[in-house]
Amino acid sequence: MASLTMVEALNLALHQAMEADDRVVLLGEDVAQTGGVFRVTAGLLDRFGESRIVDTPLAEAGIVGSAIGMSLYGLLPIVEIQFDVFVYPGFEQIVTHAARYAWRSKGESPASIVIRIPYGGGVRAPELHSDSPEALFAHVPGLKVVCPTTPSDARDMLLAAIEDPDPVVFMEPKRIYRAGREEVSEELPFEIGNGHGAPAELLSTARVAREGTDLAIITYGATVPLSVQAADELASDRGIQTKVLDLRSLYPFDIEAICSAASECGRVLVVHEAPRHAGLGAEVSSLIHERVMLDLHAPVMRVTGFDVPFPQFANEDDYLPSVARIKQGANKVLDW
Amino acid sequence: MAETATTNKNLVSTIHDTLAEEMRNDDRIVVLGEDVGARGGVFRVTMGFLDEFGEDRVIDTPLDENLIAGVAIGMAMDGLLPVAEMQFADFIFPGFNQIVQEAARIRYRSNNDFNCPVLFRTPYGGGVHGALYHSQSIEALFAHVPGLKVVAPSTPEDAKGMLITAIQDEDPVLFLEHKKCYRLIKGDVPDERYNIEFGKAKVRREGSDVTVVSYGLMHHFCVEAADRLSKDGIEAEVIDLRSIYPLDMGTILESVGKTNKVMIVYEDNKFLGVGAEVAAQIAENALFELDGPIVRIGGPHVPAMPFAPTLEHWFLPDVDRLEQEMRKLAEY
Repeated sequence: MASLTMVEALNLALHQAMEADDRVVLLGEDVAQTGGVFRVTAGLLDRFGESRIVDTPLAEAGIVGSAIGMSLYGLLPIVEIQFDVFVYPGFEQIVTHAARYAWRSKGESPASIVIRIPYGGGVRAPELHSDSPEALFAHVPGLKVVCPTTPSDARDMLLAAIEDPDPVVFMEPKRIYRAGREEVSEELPFEIGNGHGAPAELLSTARVAREGTDLAIITYGATVPLSVQAADELASDRGIQTKVLDLRSLYPFDIEAICSAASECGRVLVVHEAPRHAGLGAEVSSLIHERVMLDLHAPVMRVTGFDVPFPQFANEDDYLPSVARIKQGANKVLDW
Repeated sequence: MAETATTNKNLVSTIHDTLAEEMRNDDRIVVLGEDVGARGGVFRVTMGFLDEFGEDRVIDTPLDENLIAGVAIGMAMDGLLPVAEMQFADFIFPGFNQIVQEAARIRYRSNNDFNCPVLFRTPYGGGVHGALYHSQSIEALFAHVPGLKVVAPSTPEDAKGMLITAIQDEDPVLFLEHKKCYRLIKGDVPDERYNIEFGKAKVRREGSDVTVVSYGLMHHFCVEAADRLSKDGIEAEVIDLRSIYPLDMGTILESVGKTNKVMIVYEDNKFLGVGAEVAAQIAENALFELDGPIVRIGGPHVPAMPFAPTLEHWFLPDVDRLEQEMRKLAEY
């Protein structure tokens, strides 16, 4: 066991995957010499050499496209997109190509790549460094989209994403990269490269971050700890027991966990940082109303970012869901 | 009221005629895209434009959507009114960065000093045996991007009024044309010039038993299914969304208040499609007026769209299926 931040846990996963399977390669902007702008890839160049850790030009279409080609030739590439907004030049490669190789080849040649994206606001970054583009990928058939929130989930889910034959978009909430430490087992969560793949639950299930029966807050990423804090305050303010569900898997959804949380609590708030319109909260809300509407005591409500481009950092605290806004939303659902 | 003169035409001719007329009225309007010049566009939307307006205003571009979008953005910021054609909606993604990161943000980034009156037109949707790369529905991806307007007229009359509005709009607009509707859908189009405001849905068929919200080709299927149900005494109210962002929730909620049952139909894959946002907003505003679940009918979560006719048919909701689903909800 070691006490690790999310960054260190991701770094551990990369070391372990590359150690266990020499088909694993990593490419991206500044991932080798610099060790990544967030140091997620620190130490890898020294350990595995420049044929497996590749510094690329600033060209995301080229990075993703190269990774797809490497994958079709039998490698297992991991791509780092340096910041969220930088993924858009590579959007065509991800959506039109990576997502479709399995279908186009009748399952014979999936593009087995992992696209790691540090995303989201709250780090006082300049413009174009704070988007939450996860809904754009979750809507695209052929991609898996996941988002860990704890260091040990980050380690286990990244190993599973590398092992998974499908392209996985791996969203890393950069605001909580170093928010806290957790004991992470250095033992592998499953046997790498034995041909059986990763356990499916690592890329398809939600996690209960806090138990409760009066209200369910369904969220993911950097708003998970904020929701837990809001839940604690709701308990002391007014004796409300709030369950916090960390989605972890953004596609596929853990429909079972979402619907049973809704049925159990009867009141649901969805929280995310991305713009509200056509964000993941819309799908969570629609699913619940489709399947378990009669168990609800109030409509599913959403606390989200706003339908404007992510603001400059001087204004980002007004844009991001805060504990106060989450509590306000929760009180609205509770008092409905 | 004096009767307005109209001409009966199909969707593609209406878009052609409207765009030509606007170009005659305003020489800031230029069109650019793949094959829009010498060939007149693969769907003939810009047929004859090169001869009439010349190559300074009708520009054949290389096969590079990133370039098309980027050049159009620059033209728009420099005083022109570019109408960029993406040959098929499926091809828009190489230009995604320009549209999402540049066009959509210019007004915000410049603190309102600059704006970007660019218009992206693109044929979308399935049912024409276009297979994987000529059939996609892309509207939900762009509806999630702040700073863009996304519209999808489904009748010739709406296409004219909304195209004029789109060209005049001071901000970027994505104008979606369902390619199966191009020649299938005909209607009386007023000869005079008129605008149809964005953010206004239209109740195309009144009814009291169930509200059906859709757009594009699916809207026509829904009207047909509703007409069939009418023979059995079930009256569906069919709403054509027309504008995907901004949404007209007022019209939808008013109808839901009357029928207490609602279904949203779209051919894009269901997960996180436009119907998710419509359903979420209906629930937020009118949950306890409902007498049944909010039903969404959308495509399966596989890449659009299979080539084999049987699979394409399986992928796309059809009138039979919609009739069945509407009946089921009405009887819920």
